Amino acid sequence: MDISQDYFSCYGLSCDFAVDPVALRQSHRQLQQQHHPDRFVSKSDSDQRRAVQITAYLNQAYATLSEPLKRGIYLLQLQGMDPLAPTNTQMPMDFLLQQIELRESLEEMSQVQNPETQMDSMSSRLQHQASQLESEFAQAYGLSNFEIAETSVRKLQFIVKLQQQLDALEGALLD
Amino acid sequence: MALLQIAEPGQSAKPHQRKLAVGIDLGTTHSLVASVRSGQAETLANSRGEHLLPSVVRYLADELPQVGIKAQAHLVDDAANTVMSVKRLMGRGIDDVKRLGESMPYLFEACDQGMPLINTVSGLKSPVQVSADILRALVQRGESSLGGELVGAVITVPAYFDDAQRQATKDAAQLAGIQVLRLLNEPTAAAVAYGLEQDQQEQGTIAVFDLGGGTFDISILRMEQGVFEVLATGGDSALGGDDFDHALAEWMRQERQIPAQLGLAEQRFLLRLARAGKELLSDVCSTELSFNDWPGDATYADLELTRERMNLLLDPIIDKAVRATKRTLRDAKVALGDIARIVMVGGSTRSLRVQERVADLFQQPLLTDIDPDRVVALGAARQADVLAGNQSGEELLLLDVLPLSLGLETMGGLVERVIDRNTPIPVARAQEFTTYQDGQTAMAIHVLQGERELVQDCRSLSRFDLRGIPAMAAGAAKIRVTFQVDADGLLEVSARELTSGVAASVQVKPSYGLSDVQIADMIKASWTNVEDDRSARSLREQQVEADRLGEAITMALAEDGARLLTSQQQQVIENQMQQLVVARNGHDHHAIAKQIEEMAKASDAFAAMRMDDSIKLALAGKSVDQL
Repeated sequence: MDISQDYFSCYGLSCDFAVDPVALRQSHRQLQQQHHPDRFVSKSDSDQRRAVQITAYLNQAYATLSEPLKRGIYLLQLQGMDPLAPTNTQMPMDFLLQQIELRESLEEMSQVQNPETQMDSMSSRLQHQASQLESEFAQAYGLSNFEIAETSVRKLQFIVKLQQQLDALEGALLD
Repeated sequence: MALLQIAEPGQSAKPHQRKLAVGIDLGTTHSLVASVRSGQAETLANSRGEHLLPSVVRYLADELPQVGIKAQAHLVDDAANTVMSVKRLMGRGIDDVKRLGESMPYLFEACDQGMPLINTVSGLKSPVQVSADILRALVQRGESSLGGELVGAVITVPAYFDDAQRQATKDAAQLAGIQVLRLLNEPTAAAVAYGLEQDQQEQGTIAVFDLGGGTFDISILRMEQGVFEVLATGGDSALGGDDFDHALAEWMRQERQIPAQLGLAEQRFLLRLARAGKELLSDVCSTELSFNDWPGDATYADLELTRERMNLLLDPIIDKAVRATKRTLRDAKVALGDIARIVMVGGSTRSLRVQERVADLFQQPLLTDIDPDRVVALGAARQADVLAGNQSGEELLLLDVLPLSLGLETMGGLVERVIDRNTPIPVARAQEFTTYQDGQTAMAIHVLQGERELVQDCRSLSRFDLRGIPAMAAGAAKIRVTFQVDADGLLEVSARELTSGVAASVQVKPSYGLSDVQIADMIKASWTNVEDDRSARSLREQQVEADRLGEAITMALAEDGARLLTSQQQQVIENQMQQLVVARNGHDHHAIAKQIEEMAKASDAFAAMRMDDSIKLALAGKSVDQL
């Protein structure tokens, strides 16, 4: 197992945004079966250390490829880009305004009458946006239009963060 | 290498001999040892047929310590030398222990490492030593029941155990001379005990609901084709069956208007009455609680406790467990309806009300056929059997997660997360830092574990200084701190300073309560000795490799040498073998590496011949697997 190769190659996939989650999980499980430290308990120290390194690499690879946002960022990084660079702050104005509006309604969520319905509708709105951005990214990336792809992935990051905050709020309100 | 694989049938001279391995549940109140015999996991009993070993050790002046029931008998008359519940002290510093405090009747002394030591007639004992004494008793039981030496053990730990507690457990095993095959989380072990993966059709999501005396653990696992994958663990480390007893006792006190200020004997009386009532109500719907033997002066009338009343008292406590369960399901991104199986663990899940509530939550029956006190040890035994290499083919594999987030202290006493909890392990993550002053040559690194934002609220695992950074302008140095967590959930931190070609690294094993000064000294020593350490390690590694290759080839020659090789060919290999042995006994790892390579070259043709030979055998009607 070569742990310097890119994450797609280690699962025998081509560098592409479209990934079949079921197939990915299956290959991940097969590679774990083969390389997990549990398979090297009676082997030498260096074999065991190597197994830990390989499995850590596989876990990182799987975590990256199984989430659309991380996968998108990773694909751009393979192109030598850095979509998360702190200097990278340019965003379209209409998108930012929309984000501010969403954020405000999230903050008001805990005071509204029927938070669950509100949260559900916001969640489905976010999910819809996310899947739109994902197909935008896939198309732009497929055409090697990396600038557009970068904008989509950065928008997607906003949406994913908002979804996480919504989940956290939901958890706090349900507890 | 082909040669190795062919020459070593099952790595042992007797390929079909079973390796003896056990699973150990090292519990707070009692411990168990279990093993797989004729395909079945079973807990092992002592000569009197007792399975549970009370986790109690009594130290004597000039004799070996007593462990178990013998020791338990002296909890009252020799309280200062009889240690119980030592699991609660594992991986804890003297300050933590003082906070746990008054309930423990021992004389604690802080050692220079900040570890609490118990002052007994047989000298100062650390929690690690006490646990090692319990482990020794369990291993002896294992060896005498199984009739041979053990190759190792799987030892279970609570899922919420932090790095220091895990490390302390592993140290105890080392002290007891046990090879630890794996530290396994208790809920994962319980899920494995049912052998659900043996049914090919069976796959899905499993919840393990573990309610003990003082802790509650919930784990969500996914099982698919023999692989158990922990999706999330959670719980409440201050919730358990003891809370039931306290709630019942408090209700009795109020009903009978007993004053709130109670002596120890009176408190114990109420708790004992509560426990007795709780157990009786498993069979009957109502019971009379008698105050006849009340230790105080006052007299109180008997009190009726119905099951309905008890349920009302228990429900608020069970509610907490239900909430923690829902939270963990959310962490795992799993819906209630997705859960296919519910495994019940821990003595407090015997409570009918707990069973009713959990079945009600998941809307399905629970798995309760295995004794909830033994299920963890049985699962550990199955895992030990697999790790010892006693099973073949599509094997059981357990994939665990990090129970608590790991991070580093940053400016202002804040914690910066490096690895989030519930990340699958093994895992490695690196974070880069830089210097903030011109000419800065050192940097303090403080490793923490926990979910809180502030350093003071998290558990401090270790602190060390990174020294020897070449002086340069602020922000120019690049320091990469790497966290690596292995399959046991144990952390290794290395700090590496990457500048113009200058790189060095140190390894810090986090320790429970080692003083800052000691850690700093350790680091300093390893920092200056880093080159020595590295070449010493390479030397050892190469020697091991040389030995393995040498043994494999000697064995291959003995088996097939005369049959497949001319005497001249044999002579070439034997000459090379002598050179390998000479290099192996020297101190130059480069020289050994070179001879290993030469040896491999010299024996390549022989390996190929053996391969051809075995293929011929395979064609003669044998499968390759059987060779």
